[in-house]
Amino acid sequence: MDVEVDGILVAAHELKAPLAVLRQLALSFDDMNQPNERIRTQMINVSERAIKQVNDLTKLKRLDDGLFEMEPVAVRAVCDDVTRELQNLFSASRKNLEIKYTNRSRLVVANRELLRSVIYNFLLNAIHYSDMETKSVLTVKDDKGKVRIDIRDFGPALPIDIWKEMKRGWIKKPTSIAMRPGSSGLGLYIASKFSRYMHAEVGAVRHRDGTSFYVELPVSKQASLFGV
Amino acid sequence: MIFVIDDDEIMAECISKATNKKTRIFGDAIEAMKALDDELPEMIFLDILLTGPDGFTFLNELISYSDTAKIPIVIVSSLDFGGKDLSVYGVVGVLNKDDMTPQEIRRYVDKYAG
Repeated sequence: MDVEVDGILVAAHELKAPLAVLRQLALSFDDMNQPNERIRTQMINVSERAIKQVNDLTKLKRLDDGLFEMEPVAVRAVCDDVTRELQNLFSASRKNLEIKYTNRSRLVVANRELLRSVIYNFLLNAIHYSDMETKSVLTVKDDKGKVRIDIRDFGPALPIDIWKEMKRGWIKKPTSIAMRPGSSGLGLYIASKFSRYMHAEVGAVRHRDGTSFYVELPVSKQASLFGV
Repeated sequence: MIFVIDDDEIMAECISKATNKKTRIFGDAIEAMKALDDELPEMIFLDILLTGPDGFTFLNELISYSDTAKIPIVIVSSLDFGGKDLSVYGVVGVLNKDDMTPQEIRRYVDKYAG
């Protein structure tokens, strides 16, 4: 199949999945005859996730136009922001997130919006592919003039074909649904495109009991003018 | 007892609620296979595109054992099977995630786990 069409099919499948879930949640109102808070929260979470995916897709086009400026970005603040937003989703999925900051360099050269999407997509991937009742770990550390953001999940290891693509530094297209179902193919594709735009190094490490995805960004030489 | 196997936790929960019966939810086929050693469910609702081994790998495992081969399976997927006869796998029905309703789920439960 044509690479582009295959990619569109994967994107369509992944965007359809949250709609099917929303429909079932809405139908369960009728079924139970009483809307409850948990279902309401699930509907909000699922819709927000879908909206973010669509937004990220529209950003892909804007990458070609070079509309995202590189600037000093406070890396911990971005991580805090994303993890706060995804905390509910981790809890709703009965999974935990541990955050470890050991980095001394606080500013990296990046685009805040794109970096946020990269971390968001890696964390979503961790939620989706972690085993129930496990914790994922987000680590930010210094690594030879760079800052490395590493997101480790505990579940099935990343399939070798995607690992090879990540090792190369970028994913050519969203992964075929026959190879990897669920919500990660599109998210990883987006994360790799955004990282490439920022000249960040992106990759994955396979473990026996899960996967680590990482992005490495150059430390900003600019003195911290932002009080971080 | 009914098994629900779907790697989307919220979808699995919706299916579980719709059955109105005691269920066990599994996010992947391997966990579900392990659980079959402890107890045989009255029926299984099975997604096909799963993390790790997919639904058809699971179905092949099921039909290879004399006891699990008899468990009625309802496939719940967003894939289009085009009316294909899957009874060789013990599949008694196919529900499309795009348009299925809790009532349809319950009809299968009444018939096979009533």
